[in-house]
Amino acid sequence: MSDALSQPMASDAGQGGDDQGSMPLLQLESIIKRFGGLAAVDNLSFSLHKGEILGVIGPNGAGKSTMVDLVGGATTPTSGTIFYQGHNITRLSPHQRTHLGIARTFQIAQPFKGLDVRENVMVGALFGQQRLSRAQALRAADEVLERVNLAHKATFKGDQLTIADRKRLEIARALATEPQLLLLDEVMAGLTPVEVAQAVELIRQLNKMGVTVLVIEHIVSAIASVSNRVLVLHHGRKIAEDEPAQVLSDPRVIEAYLGERYARHRTQQSASGLPIAKDDQQLSGGES
Amino acid sequence: MATGTKTQTSPTTQAPPPKPKEGRGWLWSLLLGLLILGLVATVPFVGNAADLHNWTLIIMFAVLAQSWNFIGGFAGYSAFGNVVFFGIGAYTTGLILLANLPFWLGLIAGALVAGLFALLLGLPVLRLRGHYFAIATLGIAEAMREFVTVRDVGGGGGGLISLPLPSLDSYVLFFYAFLGLSLLCLLITVFLTRSRFGYALVAIRESEQAAEALGIPTYWHKVGVFVLSAVPAALAGGLYAYWATGFDPDTVFNVGISVEMVLLTFLGGAGTILGPLIGAIVFEYTSFQFQASGFTLHNTLLGLSIVIVTIFLPQGILRLIQEFARQPAPGERRANPFVEGVRRVRRFIAANGV
Repeated sequence: MSDALSQPMASDAGQGGDDQGSMPLLQLESIIKRFGGLAAVDNLSFSLHKGEILGVIGPNGAGKSTMVDLVGGATTPTSGTIFYQGHNITRLSPHQRTHLGIARTFQIAQPFKGLDVRENVMVGALFGQQRLSRAQALRAADEVLERVNLAHKATFKGDQLTIADRKRLEIARALATEPQLLLLDEVMAGLTPVEVAQAVELIRQLNKMGVTVLVIEHIVSAIASVSNRVLVLHHGRKIAEDEPAQVLSDPRVIEAYLGERYARHRTQQSASGLPIAKDDQQLSGGES
Repeated sequence: MATGTKTQTSPTTQAPPPKPKEGRGWLWSLLLGLLILGLVATVPFVGNAADLHNWTLIIMFAVLAQSWNFIGGFAGYSAFGNVVFFGIGAYTTGLILLANLPFWLGLIAGALVAGLFALLLGLPVLRLRGHYFAIATLGIAEAMREFVTVRDVGGGGGGLISLPLPSLDSYVLFFYAFLGLSLLCLLITVFLTRSRFGYALVAIRESEQAAEALGIPTYWHKVGVFVLSAVPAALAGGLYAYWATGFDPDTVFNVGISVEMVLLTFLGGAGTILGPLIGAIVFEYTSFQFQASGFTLHNTLLGLSIVIVTIFLPQGILRLIQEFARQPAPGERRANPFVEGVRRVRRFIAANGV
């Protein structure tokens, strides 16, 4: 487990960190998205480097899914700029972004119900970055299904799948477009602990194959175990961005998540010498 | 031990193979479609003049339903005004005939004008989704009828009534022209189920958001299929113009025809290869049988069919047959469409507190 975790981090710090520091894979600059009077995303800036796994956490309504919509192109920001590989993609449509190598999943899985699982994935290969022919796309679909462990259900229709398999299908379809950047919007929500562990392992494998991942999740322990860096959103604002252990012990984060009283309680505990991130680390270790 | 495993693996455990075979359903559908059209092609030899007349109209409605299936069945966009293309085809062809130009030129011109109209109409209208799109298209058909009536296009208020009459021989010719058009639509439909373009349309129908995220330029695919569904309808309109030797705006821009396109497609099975053809033959033939026996029940049947299809057959006749032909999994009970329908109504009543 520690190998899998340390490998992408090492490569990131080794080659990725320096020469790509000037040109991140993805960069958001003071992005604001308003729905009427509400700023769902409020002056958000961050960058994501090639080979990283960036986790994004935050309570309900923090603006996480809006952020995925903004990067994926489903909505355009009220103001601010999004750069991908140095290009301004702020106004590009979702399919154009897919062709540039950005793929996403949906929080509520949206399988093509009339098609079987294999065809679902094939659509991604047909229209993704490579625009494969039908025969090639079918082959690519089989490979991807193998990779996400869904090959045994290739002939199932999209609506005959369990929640966990629907989430796997979401990932498989996105992968079939051959992305460089994968946006995962709560792919672990509603899964059993075993399935969460499988999902974490899958994300690590994908990352090892060179896919940069932005993963949004409620399950803090899973995020902490899989991410190189964690970004915390609250009311659309970034309140923390650091390595998982640091972020999880940040009093502001604890307060946003668990409320003021609990935060005070915890700070007192840590003052009395109890390490805070310990439970979370144990949790994550136990899962994988 | 070795023999034991051998007998075990042979039929049951090897049933789901690691690499699933590709379905050959489209091939059977194509062959069955060719068989149906082949049988219909014998009508001029075995039937009388009335049969020929009826079957010409049946196949015309089949063409209209087949063309509606492209946008409504595959892309899932309920266009409620596709009769407008039928009317445009009829009027363009009619006007060109009146100008003493050849008929084939009129047909081609009608198809081009309707295609262009679909393009220009689709550009704004296909930005709308769901009910908004349906209502917008419905409005266009009505607006076009009013326009043609008020502007008195073709003269005489009653539409184009002074077309040169074809001889009786060409009734057979027109029948085969409609049949050829239906065959063309069948081939296009088969192409749609197999092609990149068709997969894009189905993806749009199932989830436009996901389709877009997987790299499909959804907007242009929708505009494309709208044009594709306009052209056969316009060709049918052109053929109808000459065949009927006169028509008026109320006939060729009749919203009822739009409704019929939708119904026939859903009756047979929307988004399937054979659905619209089967729906058209079943419904229109029944309607003509009633007509022959003295009751003109067309609109009654139309209304009744809409109710029946909505409640009991939302998937259409084809899927019903497929469901009954399918070997049910062990322990699985076959869904009874009647029971399902009653359940659907009950659920509706429960939800709406009637």
